[in-house]
Amino acid sequence: MFRLLEESGFTRVRSVVVPHFRFRKPATQSSAEAYGVKAVLFTATRPAPG
Amino acid sequence: MTDAVAAQESLESILKGEILRMYQEVADKPEGEYHFFHGREAAELFGYDPAWLDRAPAGAVASFAGVGNPHLRSAIQPGETVVDLGSGAGLDAIIASWSAGASGKVIGVDLNPSMCLKAQAHAAASGTRMECHQGQMENIPLPDASADVVISNGVINLSFRKRKVVEELFRVLKPGGRLSFTDIVSAKQLSQSIVNDPKLWAS
Repeated sequence: MFRLLEESGFTRVRSVVVPHFRFRKPATQSSAEAYGVKAVLFTATRPAPG
Repeated sequence: MTDAVAAQESLESILKGEILRMYQEVADKPEGEYHFFHGREAAELFGYDPAWLDRAPAGAVASFAGVGNPHLRSAIQPGETVVDLGSGAGLDAIIASWSAGASGKVIGVDLNPSMCLKAQAHAAASGTRMECHQGQMENIPLPDASADVVISNGVINLSFRKRKVVEELFRVLKPGGRLSFTDIVSAKQLSQSIVNDPKLWAS
């Protein structure tokens, strides 16, 4: 996603992992952990001309 | 149209149907148990101010199904036009409206027209206004350069065509406009069986 944002023209792309994100059901959480699934907060800016 | 493209479009259509069904279920039965945290419990987990959750309509809070808190970095200013992509029952849009104020504007976009109606009703109940447009994030039903800020919460990860979504975000933002959204990412490539299972996408 980070790369997608930059390739699409966004600047000042930042990301931070959402702490405490997890799935409710233990089996789902286990599967998610196996794939390194996490929630991330992204910010970016569409550049202004000049 | 090639077989692969047709198959992809078919799967995408099924996926969108499953997503609609899942999030409608959360809105209709917020007391239910799902694979993900939702409602006030989820919002507090992600750092939403309890005062916001006390102030917003209970129905909007109960149906919250985000994966983080885009308000932490959105820096919405009075008078700004804010788009909430995947606005659902409206909690994030309502919170955004408090910052945008009476001189600002909040516009929700959701795949589900009944969720748009619900979000607008919740906004009205909280004494604020929001527009809501039914539509797809891959083809946002808004003009070019119409938003100062776009927020989104656990929605973009539901698209097969993320590049198109990001291009749409760029298009609808004004030059100098800002994006603040949460997304689910995986460190490893998902297996094709997972990718092809609509129920797992909407979990």
